[in-house]
Amino acid sequence: MVETLNSLMHGFAVAFQPEVMMYAFFGCIIGTLVGMMPGLGPLAGISLLLPATFGLNPIIAIVLLAGVYYGAMYGGSTTSILMRIPGEAASVMTCVDGYAMTQQGRAGPALAIAAIGSFVAGTLGVLGLMLLAPTLASFALRFGPPEYTALLLVGLFVLAYMSGGSMLKTLAMAVFGLLLGMIGIDVMSGYTRFSFGITELGDGVGIVPVAVGLFGISEILMTAGQSDPPKVQRPTLRQLVPTASDLRQSAGPIARGSLLGFMIGIIPGSAHVISSFVSYGLERRLSKHPERFGNGAIEGVAGPESANNAAATGAFVPMLALGIPTGPVTAVMLAAIMVHGILPGPMLIEQQPELFWGFVASMYVGNVVLLILNLPMVGVFVSLLRIPYAYLYPCILAFCILGCYSVSNSTMDVWIMLVMGVVGYALRKFGFDLAPVALGLVLGPMLELSLRQALAMSGGDYGIFLDRPIALTMLGFAMLLLLFAVKPLIFKGKDWRSKVGLDEPADS
Amino acid sequence: MTESQQPQGGLRSDQVSGLILFALALYVGWLNREFPVGSLAEPGPGYVPMLLAIGLGLIGLLIAVFGSRSSAVSGMAWPEATRALVIMTACVLATFALERIGYRITVVALLVFFFGVIERKSWWMTATVAVTFSLASHYVVGVLLKVPLPRGPWGF
Repeated sequence: MVETLNSLMHGFAVAFQPEVMMYAFFGCIIGTLVGMMPGLGPLAGISLLLPATFGLNPIIAIVLLAGVYYGAMYGGSTTSILMRIPGEAASVMTCVDGYAMTQQGRAGPALAIAAIGSFVAGTLGVLGLMLLAPTLASFALRFGPPEYTALLLVGLFVLAYMSGGSMLKTLAMAVFGLLLGMIGIDVMSGYTRFSFGITELGDGVGIVPVAVGLFGISEILMTAGQSDPPKVQRPTLRQLVPTASDLRQSAGPIARGSLLGFMIGIIPGSAHVISSFVSYGLERRLSKHPERFGNGAIEGVAGPESANNAAATGAFVPMLALGIPTGPVTAVMLAAIMVHGILPGPMLIEQQPELFWGFVASMYVGNVVLLILNLPMVGVFVSLLRIPYAYLYPCILAFCILGCYSVSNSTMDVWIMLVMGVVGYALRKFGFDLAPVALGLVLGPMLELSLRQALAMSGGDYGIFLDRPIALTMLGFAMLLLLFAVKPLIFKGKDWRSKVGLDEPADS
Repeated sequence: MTESQQPQGGLRSDQVSGLILFALALYVGWLNREFPVGSLAEPGPGYVPMLLAIGLGLIGLLIAVFGSRSSAVSGMAWPEATRALVIMTACVLATFALERIGYRITVVALLVFFFGVIERKSWWMTATVAVTFSLASHYVVGVLLKVPLPRGPWGF
């Protein structure tokens, strides 16, 4: 514990460097703006900003991108509450009661509780990250290829089981993503697969063009022809103060949402999206007056908002401790670290303590910055929403082209982005969740490599997965998840989705 | 059940998407014939793609089989499709032009098309926003962040 505190102090020394603080601040502002703008979620924002971080030192780069990520989580709630437009997917549940509160003239307390809940959850999440990541990393030093294979399989099964929409559709998208990950040179044999004779595809398909295409371009195509945004309310500072009753009613949902969000954040999938849905369902279930939900219940804002912020932080645990992304956002952030020659994985915390602890400390700072930004300055941010969409979407498109081209100075990435934009548009029209595609793309090569390495280690004996206790436990867990997932299909029972009222596919 | 999900005649959306995924799996399997699959004990470069193609095909079939209660394809609304097609065409042309006429001119042309032709904004607003965005983004990304952006034959 003393060692952890010492490391944290060292982290604060890094985080309080003026340059780091300045970038954390910029990240939070950009994130808040990105989160508020429909069509630019945290993933598209981070992807577009990624090339700009190439020239920065790795600590600053990761602090900037993390600021964008959790800034977007904060920002997404503002448009949800004031306009019933979720700035990003995780804020969908906030729309329900948040907007109902706005219609009742209580937009101020809704915004305040969302900001307070996000702050508490974000801070508790960082605490969890600080305590859990080093422990998990030292445990993961025992991992070899069989354990990584088992872990990645668990991740994929958890993703399918916990997905917001149809399990079959989620699995289909994960397999589609895994297949995209097969494009390029096979590192073990040297074969170039599925490149169609295009030299640039030898290096594989990058996460950035795929993510920007799937999430950014498809969103613009979906909203094509949309009229000007609706009128926006601008609550004054005085109106933001919640009543004692609001605070009392929100305390429990914030605490439960923080814990739930953090735990869901650690496991793969569109964690922050799922966590907000599950938190909303849980609060409605626990409430003595569930009929209030949907009609302006403040618990319906406090729980989901806390959960999605805690999940955003929880997602950093496996990313930093194991080098494994839990979602497309952390996949892009891993790419940002790797660009600087840093290998993510269990040794990261030991070999790059400045990066890890500086990052952790900067998240504490970032949460304070966001609380300050999101309460008194909400009116300023809301002004941005007055830019007519007719001006906004062409500029976003130009940014998408610019961002993807900048990754490797190649129009191939722009073509991939456009193709994935059309694919994403079609998939969304047919009710498919897009996050598993991006996750599969990143996990695909890792899974294939670890499987083949494990078999090379054992001389082709699959018993290696049963001989090693960690791998066996994880595979057992994966089987259990599979059984749980298949049960409702066979016995026509209700699974967790219907229990929390998540019948419609979650759109990314 | 929403209006679009009311039982109607014809194919269901999940049946169509499931069959498309099945067809994609067949195509991947056909492409994969070029790579040695290896054996269970010693997988080759075609092994995992083959497993994935089989998995995708099976899941696609299951989606199609269980898709009888999804919304009818004929009932699916595509109100944004025409505009989406125009947007994509413009982006394709811009991508073709990017390395041929340079970033700044391409972006000005793209934005003028969107603001002026598609959104029918006034010519002065169109020109002001398009030129300002193009130059400002080039300055921030190309000059301040030192990302090499394409130049046209005229040097800019």
